[in-house]
Amino acid sequence: MENTIHYPKVRFGSKHVDIFPYWIALLVVGVLFGLVGVFMVLRDGLQVTGLSNKVPWGLWISIDLSSISLGGSAFVFGVIVYLLRLKRFEIIGKLAVLLGFLGYSTAGLVLLFDLGQPLRFWHPVVFWQVHSLLWEVTMCVVLYLTVLVAELLPIIVEHPFFEHHAWHEKYSIVKKTVVFAKSLSQWLHKFGPVLAIVGLTLSLLHQASLGATYSVLFGRGVWFNQSAPVQFVFSAMSGGTALLFFMGVIVFRVMRPGMVQDDVLYDVARIAGGITLLLTYLRLWDWAVTNYYSFDRNINLQTEALNAVAPYSLAFWLGQAILPAIAGSVLLSAKSIKNFRYLMAFSVIPIFAAILTRWNYNFAGLIATPTYDPYTPVIRISSYTPTWVEFAVASLVISYWLLMFSFAARFLPFQSKHSEH
Amino acid sequence: MSEQNHEQPVEGKANASRRDFLKLAGALAGAAGVTQLAIGTINASASVESSGEEGTGPKWGMLIDINLCIGCQYCTFSCEAINNLADDMRYCVVTEETTQSGDKYFLSRPCMHCQEAPCVHVCPVGATYKRPDGIVAMNYDRCIGCRYCQVACPYDARVFNWKEPIALSPQSPAFGYQEIPNRPRGVVEKCHFCSHRIDAGLERGLIPGVDPQATPACVNACPTGARIFGDLTNSESPVSVALLEAKTTLRLREELSTEPHVYYIPPAQGAENRFQGS
Repeated sequence: MENTIHYPKVRFGSKHVDIFPYWIALLVVGVLFGLVGVFMVLRDGLQVTGLSNKVPWGLWISIDLSSISLGGSAFVFGVIVYLLRLKRFEIIGKLAVLLGFLGYSTAGLVLLFDLGQPLRFWHPVVFWQVHSLLWEVTMCVVLYLTVLVAELLPIIVEHPFFEHHAWHEKYSIVKKTVVFAKSLSQWLHKFGPVLAIVGLTLSLLHQASLGATYSVLFGRGVWFNQSAPVQFVFSAMSGGTALLFFMGVIVFRVMRPGMVQDDVLYDVARIAGGITLLLTYLRLWDWAVTNYYSFDRNINLQTEALNAVAPYSLAFWLGQAILPAIAGSVLLSAKSIKNFRYLMAFSVIPIFAAILTRWNYNFAGLIATPTYDPYTPVIRISSYTPTWVEFAVASLVISYWLLMFSFAARFLPFQSKHSEH
Repeated sequence: MSEQNHEQPVEGKANASRRDFLKLAGALAGAAGVTQLAIGTINASASVESSGEEGTGPKWGMLIDINLCIGCQYCTFSCEAINNLADDMRYCVVTEETTQSGDKYFLSRPCMHCQEAPCVHVCPVGATYKRPDGIVAMNYDRCIGCRYCQVACPYDARVFNWKEPIALSPQSPAFGYQEIPNRPRGVVEKCHFCSHRIDAGLERGLIPGVDPQATPACVNACPTGARIFGDLTNSESPVSVALLEAKTTLRLREELSTEPHVYYIPPAQGAENRFQGS
């Protein structure tokens, strides 16, 4: 079945203007601005950032964590489509793979610039240090990105270009590449369930380890938290699935009406809502364990210090407890609400909460740290302000994400002509 | 609580329960013995296995007598000169701190060279590692500059090389000249107990901590002898003797179980301090 794709248009008077070229132009500007930043950081090193020995991780690491968490729908829907064999999610599962790939490739891109020695990015793959969580995360992300490419290739090959195009006859190299890509993707498609299991394993490992990356840092008080790994996994599932719903409505309901049943989209919203509620429940217990049932002087002092410089506790309660609880309940009852505008608005909250969790984690322990003097240790508040170079590189990776997504949303068919195999 | 419960009422039952208790206790004791044996064996085999890694050789350590420190920062400056460091790249820092009673004292802090070093555990590429002699060292060719070790270190002992190495340290030549090669931009650096001096000195039959050529620059530079260096496993080394003589010692953030190899003699309360006055 051929689907016509409806492009979002803006009405100026009586004219309907396709905003796509303008949107792409805007993103290209973002990329170009980012490339200036990339040039600066590669030429002059990390001294062009606002980072210091007191706050060695900043904006880029937070973006990295956030984009990995928002790629979390890929493994959830890999399991739903290939292992639970729920066929009605097959098409939206393809979007999940795309979002996963974008999340992880964005993370890899931004991490590259965050390394002091970018040319040594391959070292963890060769020099194994199996006790390091960061090593495990790196290996999992590298392997999982490979899995995502393997899952994404069959989706890209569905593009009509791979069927007929003048270039096939004109350039033999194009034809050879197309034939190779098609046979490779057919072969890969057979391994869908295997890829799903591998993807699930790798995802659970590194999403949890990203939390553990912080929670093993026993010298840093607020970070030394046993439940961080579980929270990171659930928050990636919640935020990732909420993003999948949001983007799913745009890609399918707005641009390709009829391709995905409304009920399927409601189900995605319900999954997101359910996981969000579960996550909020876990988070409340975590709060109770660290702040109510036990008392850690450092954590207490750090929270006080953070509250003195920013609405830290308020942000936690609002952004990570109350709003997600409301949004989770709304999304869970998607089938009785049946209003895509409301649901989309509420699905922004789990996305925002997943990002907030990562930023909170990354900055809380860095900004407020216990000093080492033996008699009167205090909590030292360090400050960090990203420089324009950091914002430029941030603009590069965010523009990259949006650019790739926009092209995919506009040009990928998301449905093979012979989808039944 | 549980003992009281056992000795309480109802005769017949009490006997039975006492007998059961004895049986259980016997079984537990047996199990404990077996476990102990197993643990002993495991420990023995572990120590044999790790002998190659950890070694029976020297373990370098340092003792810093806070009562003798006058805050002159010569340790910092000589370290800067020997490692060719800029002023914002100090491996060793001296800060003014206060005791609970409000007395001021100087705390000078090199790398702690922890036995359970958090930085070694977290490094994703094994660029920072523990030498058999206890020194936490860096492989600057392997470091990718991810800065996880900086985040993990509870003592802020690590500095990232944000800029290109400088031509000449501001502390040279007053406090000496560069002795080790420059590190590239974008790696994390740290104090290495002047391991280049120790290694070269041992080859020449010198004793680190005794012979200045084989002793860390900061120890040599200290005008009051507040820093004492040597082999912690050798009971006759200066540091072991001083540790034995010291009434009390402390290590920084001991509650974290990082087991630092740098010890401090705490500031004496109310006692006369030769250098610090009150």
